[in-house]
Amino acid sequence: MTGNRNPLINGLLKLHITLCLIFIFAPIAGSFVFSLNSDRFPSLPLGSFSTEWYRLIWEDPLVWAGFFNTLLVGACVAAIATLLGFGGAYTDFRYKFFGKPVYLALALLPPTIPVVIMGLAMLAFLSRVSLSGNVISVIIAHGVMCSPFAMAIIRLRLSQMDPDLEAAAWNLGGNEWVTMRHVIIPFTKPAIYAALFITMAVSFDEFAVAWFVSGLNETLPVKVLGFLQGQVSPRINAIGSLAFVSSISFIVIAQLLMRNPESKPS
Amino acid sequence: MLDTPIVHFDNVVKKFGSFTAVEKADFQIARGEFLAIMGSSGCGKTTTLRMLAGLEDPTEGNILLDGEKINGKPTWERDTPMVWQSLALFPFLTVQENVEFSLKMRKVPKGQRRERARKWLDRLGILEFADRNISQLSGGQRQRVALARSLVTEPKILLLDEPLSALDAHLKVRMQSVLSGLQKDLGITFVYVTHSMSEAFSMADRVVIMSRGKIEQIGTPEEIYREPRNRFVADFLGSSNVFDGSLKSSGNEVWQIETEHSSFTLKAPSEVQKTDGSPVAFAVSSENMSLAAIGTPWAGNSIEATVVGGEFAGASATVFLETDQGQELKVQKGHDELKTVDIRAGQKLLVHWLPEHCHVLPGE
Amino acid sequence: MNTRPSLFSLTFSLPLLIWQLAFFLFPLAFLVALSFWTVRNFQMQPNFDTVNWVKIYSRSVFWDAYFRTLLLASFSAALISLAAFPASYAISFKLGENAKRWMIFVLIIPFFTSYLVRVYSLQVFLSDAGILNAFLGYLGLGPYSMLNNSFGTLTGYATLCLPLVILLQVFSLNFVNRDLVEAAHNMRCGRLRTVLEVIIPSAKAGLVIAGLFAFILSFGDFVSPLYLGGGNPPTLSIMITDITKSGQQWPRAAVVALTMIATLLTVAFAAIKFAYREAGK
Repeated sequence: MTGNRNPLINGLLKLHITLCLIFIFAPIAGSFVFSLNSDRFPSLPLGSFSTEWYRLIWEDPLVWAGFFNTLLVGACVAAIATLLGFGGAYTDFRYKFFGKPVYLALALLPPTIPVVIMGLAMLAFLSRVSLSGNVISVIIAHGVMCSPFAMAIIRLRLSQMDPDLEAAAWNLGGNEWVTMRHVIIPFTKPAIYAALFITMAVSFDEFAVAWFVSGLNETLPVKVLGFLQGQVSPRINAIGSLAFVSSISFIVIAQLLMRNPESKPS
Repeated sequence: MLDTPIVHFDNVVKKFGSFTAVEKADFQIARGEFLAIMGSSGCGKTTTLRMLAGLEDPTEGNILLDGEKINGKPTWERDTPMVWQSLALFPFLTVQENVEFSLKMRKVPKGQRRERARKWLDRLGILEFADRNISQLSGGQRQRVALARSLVTEPKILLLDEPLSALDAHLKVRMQSVLSGLQKDLGITFVYVTHSMSEAFSMADRVVIMSRGKIEQIGTPEEIYREPRNRFVADFLGSSNVFDGSLKSSGNEVWQIETEHSSFTLKAPSEVQKTDGSPVAFAVSSENMSLAAIGTPWAGNSIEATVVGGEFAGASATVFLETDQGQELKVQKGHDELKTVDIRAGQKLLVHWLPEHCHVLPGE
Repeated sequence: MNTRPSLFSLTFSLPLLIWQLAFFLFPLAFLVALSFWTVRNFQMQPNFDTVNWVKIYSRSVFWDAYFRTLLLASFSAALISLAAFPASYAISFKLGENAKRWMIFVLIIPFFTSYLVRVYSLQVFLSDAGILNAFLGYLGLGPYSMLNNSFGTLTGYATLCLPLVILLQVFSLNFVNRDLVEAAHNMRCGRLRTVLEVIIPSAKAGLVIAGLFAFILSFGDFVSPLYLGGGNPPTLSIMITDITKSGQQWPRAAVVALTMIATLLTVAFAAIKFAYREAGK
């Protein structure tokens, strides 16, 4: 292309990319390093290597309680959001109906509403129907926030499907339910798994709405928010590093699942 | 029962909102017939086929399959398998599993399923690919999988929606003979939708020509070619010149037609009755027209026209001309015959033809 | 196929609809009702009273916070868009297909790290005796005050938004017809002028939407202004969390939240209208 004419400008552009990446990843890498550092408040030069912070969270029953809450919420949210998202994606794929834009807006808008407002609205509403302050309220709220992601992932996969495939299965003698089981679900399976993992990862990191509605049943991210409000504690880094590793494993698994499907017929 | 047609379209209308996709389709398909439905895109041919398959419901009229009314019966309760333009093979299943699919839907036991699928794979010459993934097959092999998948239930009728359009020319011709051979061997009815005249005319027993939702003509390929019913069919076949005029005198032997160019003589058609003065349209095949220099004496019909250009392909050439009144004409001739006339653009020539080569369009 | 919805279609379409109506739309609508309720003896009572609106709107603290939040979010959107563009341009136009795909993957990673942890880590970097000041000290500079002020807040916003803005910009730049760029060069349009007069106008809609997302995220975020900006004076989101967690004055928090939603909707509509203005001509 014409772009290679000026190496200086290209060099500067690449330097800029690098700077952006450093800016984005320095805090992430930093929290890893700090989590293994003996200093309560690390600075240069760094203190000695230590696993003290990991030991502290390991021995903290509240952290464990938070972890199990997170896991429970994450698993339930993944299942619910993926089911809801699958239904929404299939509806959008298959049907044309009056009011469809409203249906889609309702399905996809939640992530654009600021979390503070979502949190307040959820808290006010759920406490009115006596559902706030427990794990179920977090699951409900996260279901709302995560189902758009599941829906987008599954819809994307459906759009890669030959539109005649479903009709072909009907034509060969399968009714709508049987075709759903033998054609649509097998075809979207990689996306369904990806949606499960990604919604779980989103739920794992969500703290704001969970903080509003969870009451005493804190999830781990809410616990972290509590640490942040309290005294300075590098335990956050330890928890964050562990959460990061688990989230990334989910994403990598999801990625592999999305990539794996049979090569498309050309 | 054997005399009832396998399919009867009884005044079928299909509307999508205010758009009429199929207008009063009324025809029958005989048992064991190879019927092609032909037309350009959007003419309603695929909608007609999809109504037969049960993928669309008719807005008005009835469709009878084997004498039984099937309106509203979902496609999965009919026995009308279809071969799709995209083939619609299931990418997550192997070749064998694809072919077994409809047997599985009919709850045929596993062993029997496998046996029947393999029989059809063998018959279509693709048994060796039984355990392959669809993406590992060539276009022609996929075609055969799609055929096997639809035929495995041994239906009485097979619907095909432009199944050859994705293949290259060579493979297309080969698959055409596979399809006609298969249809003759099985003795079942094929309903074949296509936009290609050569496919329709080379394989079908009868051809239905559709345009804008309307059936323009139904007949054997020869009938349609020799006697196009109206201007659309004549134009669609692409090799006819159509003239409009009014009947001046109708004798027993010859008719005199007055047109904006001049008066033409044609052989009186036996099957068309018209009174003097009524409008008449007739077609002259471009192969039956000849060219000569201006002033050449000529006894039949003739008209002066200016050469616009020419197209030279293979053994024959097509010369495009325009009359002073602006009507376009085309004349198709062998190279030898054209040697004697000057066909440079701008040249004025005499176009002539015999009265018996005029075909009155009965539908105009 | 048929006009009457079947059991099959309802099985798949209804659950999501019901869930989002009950747990998304209804809570938001409830917020409107809540803003007219009154609080007596620490108890909320259903009512139709404009007292919350009057109380909040008559306080200068609220308006200070409102305009500060608006200013910070606008500044953040502009700054982040500007910083992101050279990177997005380089990713879209200068990198090979493989490198591009890797870059996109790398930029998605931050979405799955805890924003809280990143903010905490940034505190360590930015504090007066922190990593950055220690590093600058080696160079004989500083120390600078980077925490508990607007610089801290904006840095936090940037960690939150930058990856998303770059991704959205890259996606819109990928859609720019490469022939246009070569045609411009062919007509003697220089590199920079091609970027300004061909590429940016072609990708305008996507670039504006990217900026809009930065605005929405910054406007609603309470973590950065609180833990990096010091929280005093507060932004609107900090106000909501303070009011909500410190008692039963939820109706007043609802007023603040609804004002935020109205502002966001106005900005979003204006931005989208601007983004697609010329495309429709």
